[in-house]
Amino acid sequence: MTSALPAPFTVAVTTATVLGCLAYLAAAARLRTRGDAWPYGRDALFCAGGAVLVAGVSEPWGAAPPFTAHMLTHLCVGMLAPLLLVLGRPLTLLLRTAPVTLRRGLVTLTRSRWATAPALPPVAALLDFGGLWLLYRTPLLSVSHHSPWLNTLVHVHILLAGLLFSFGLLALDPVRHRPGYGLRAAVLLTAGTAHAVLAKSLYAAGPPGTSFGAADLHLASQVMYYGGDAVELALAAVVAYQWYRSEGRALRRAGRARHSGATAAATRP
Amino acid sequence: MRSVLSGVLTGIGTAAFIDETVFHQLLHWHHFYDKSTTDVGLVSDGLFHAGSWLAMVAGLVLYADVRRRGTLVPRKWWSGLCLGLGGFQLYDGTFQHKGLGIHQIRYGVDLAPYDWTWNGIAVLLLVAGALLLVRASRRPPRAASRTEPRTPSRTR
Repeated sequence: MTSALPAPFTVAVTTATVLGCLAYLAAAARLRTRGDAWPYGRDALFCAGGAVLVAGVSEPWGAAPPFTAHMLTHLCVGMLAPLLLVLGRPLTLLLRTAPVTLRRGLVTLTRSRWATAPALPPVAALLDFGGLWLLYRTPLLSVSHHSPWLNTLVHVHILLAGLLFSFGLLALDPVRHRPGYGLRAAVLLTAGTAHAVLAKSLYAAGPPGTSFGAADLHLASQVMYYGGDAVELALAAVVAYQWYRSEGRALRRAGRARHSGATAAATRP
Repeated sequence: MRSVLSGVLTGIGTAAFIDETVFHQLLHWHHFYDKSTTDVGLVSDGLFHAGSWLAMVAGLVLYADVRRRGTLVPRKWWSGLCLGLGGFQLYDGTFQHKGLGIHQIRYGVDLAPYDWTWNGIAVLLLVAGALLLVRASRRPPRAASRTEPRTPSRTR
């Protein structure tokens, strides 16, 4: 099959993911023995993300036609796994448990304007969805099928850009500047549109230089379209929940201020 | 005002959801892509497809927030819902199906009755929504819905 991933890449990603999950669990356990709170749900989300990533790169798609199989891998590696991994807030955990010297370096990095620029939602979206358009609307995909290195590079980009997009959009971990809700909604809308348009256009015409069957293209196109919907919906739900929580905090602050104002007025002689 | 906005957003999301599940997935009347679509049509379709999911999420979370504040006006919310439902369906039925030719309601049949029913329902929903909104604005809202914002019981 032409779209199969190079074996060294699969082995490297699987090893790194398993080690990453073990390190995460160890760090979370240390935090809890220290007496700090760290919800178990985060451990579960991070490990689920790791599992999806490993499943994605091992390509267990059986008899699925090549382009559909490729699309399922993309959905796992570039969208679902990054979302789950980012929901585990790995950077926050690292900042709390790493040795002091490493922590200092990390803090400097998360406060630096240049290091955090790629995580700004519009930039991250451009890297992620721009890359996707390049892959499917230039001969890049057909060329990468004949070059294991390029194929590896493409998949590394898909994973990193996916992580960056979820990381920047959800802004769960502490970085220099938290983007506003309006910007995040606009980026999500634009990215969702770009994704849906690209998915539908693949229904009619496959990537240049490839010769996938019509049935394969149709299935892959719909996998991309509806799979993208599911992840978009999840991202939107997380951002909306963050907004709801922050409004609640503002409301409680206002209520407290009014309350203390009223008692002050009542006690005044 | 937030009641209406929440209703409109939820309405758009619901209309898109019904469109997708009933007509695309269950009845298979609509086609995913019938290849007569223009590029503008594809972009418009993508924008509305992505936007309607966001509208659904935003509408629901706004509803929760308005309720928490104790400023929900149910009549306004329902009027917004009708406006959102009707607005989306009319846009879909006229501009997207006809103007941009994204896809038709059904294939291999005389389209006229389908188009009239589709757009007729849309107009009825819009009228109902507008009437509800006028009535809700004219009548003073019930006392309970315009009192002090309820402070959440959880205080820290």
